Amino acid sequence: MDELSLLKKLDRVKAPPDFEQRVLAQLSLRKRKRVRARTLSLSLAGAFSTVLVLFIVISVFILPEKSPVGIADVEKEILSPAFKTEEMPRPSPTIPIIEAVDYGKEVRSLSKEPRTIYLLEQVSDEVSSTTKY
Amino acid sequence: MDEQELVRQIQQGDEMAFAEIVRIYKNRIVNFLWKITGDYQKAVELSQETFMRVYFKAHRYRPIASFSSWIYTIASNLAKTEMKKLRKFTVVSLDDVQNVIPVEASADNPGDSGLIKSLRNALNSLHPRYRIPVILKDIEGFSQEEIAEMLKRPIGTIKARISRGREYLRKELEKASSEGNTFALKEEH
Repeated sequence: MDELSLLKKLDRVKAPPDFEQRVLAQLSLRKRKRVRARTLSLSLAGAFSTVLVLFIVISVFILPEKSPVGIADVEKEILSPAFKTEEMPRPSPTIPIIEAVDYGKEVRSLSKEPRTIYLLEQVSDEVSSTTKY
Repeated sequence: MDEQELVRQIQQGDEMAFAEIVRIYKNRIVNFLWKITGDYQKAVELSQETFMRVYFKAHRYRPIASFSSWIYTIASNLAKTEMKKLRKFTVVSLDDVQNVIPVEASADNPGDSGLIKSLRNALNSLHPRYRIPVILKDIEGFSQEEIAEMLKRPIGTIKARISRGREYLRKELEKASSEGNTFALKEEH
């Protein structure tokens, strides 16, 4: 008698009598868990999308636009002692004008305020110098 | 009903077809896992998990291999993971648990002879790497090609492992026979 034939003669066990019921019960439980997990992930995805859309709407349409920088403010800054240093170059005849206005928007969008007219006037003391804008 | 037809129905979520598959395979899978783990309760747990995976992963089954080899593949993988977790070979004296395990009655069963007991102990002490292929080949009746496919190993490796496993069992039986049991060993060609 060799060990191979003996292997076939080893005891065999059976599944417990309620094995099928246990398996089917576990199946129902896991199916319910999967449905819950799927619902949760869809809800989270939906919530995230909503927050993202709200953020975009608020930042584009609701938040106030930046106002243009006044020329007087720039002048004050240039003339202030903190701005002047020994290495500061001779002021050039060109006066820098900082304008933080998007002309494209100003022209295209309809504003409730009366029409804004921009007057560009020469501020240099030297009459002969060219004013660049 | 044909097994392939049952699988097709399970793939569509049919629980009746699934219950039928459980009924057909439950004893075989529990027995297989018991032989690997040596622990009946663990074998029952792993069997339940095997059938869960059969249901939820039925869409992955391709009828290239037989359905039985696919189920045994799942069961083997679960058993290997469990044995790695334990990181030891559990040698369980079956006499201690014999009363609570439903053992199949068999007319061919020669009774609990000393030789059978020695073989059982030897199988329990064999490393899972060799135990699983030996059980699949010599007890469950799969071919070496099927076992190679199930365990995702080259066929040469499977042949070597089966050979080494049998050699180990043979040596253990020789040791047992020198302690009192007498039997004749035949070389398998």
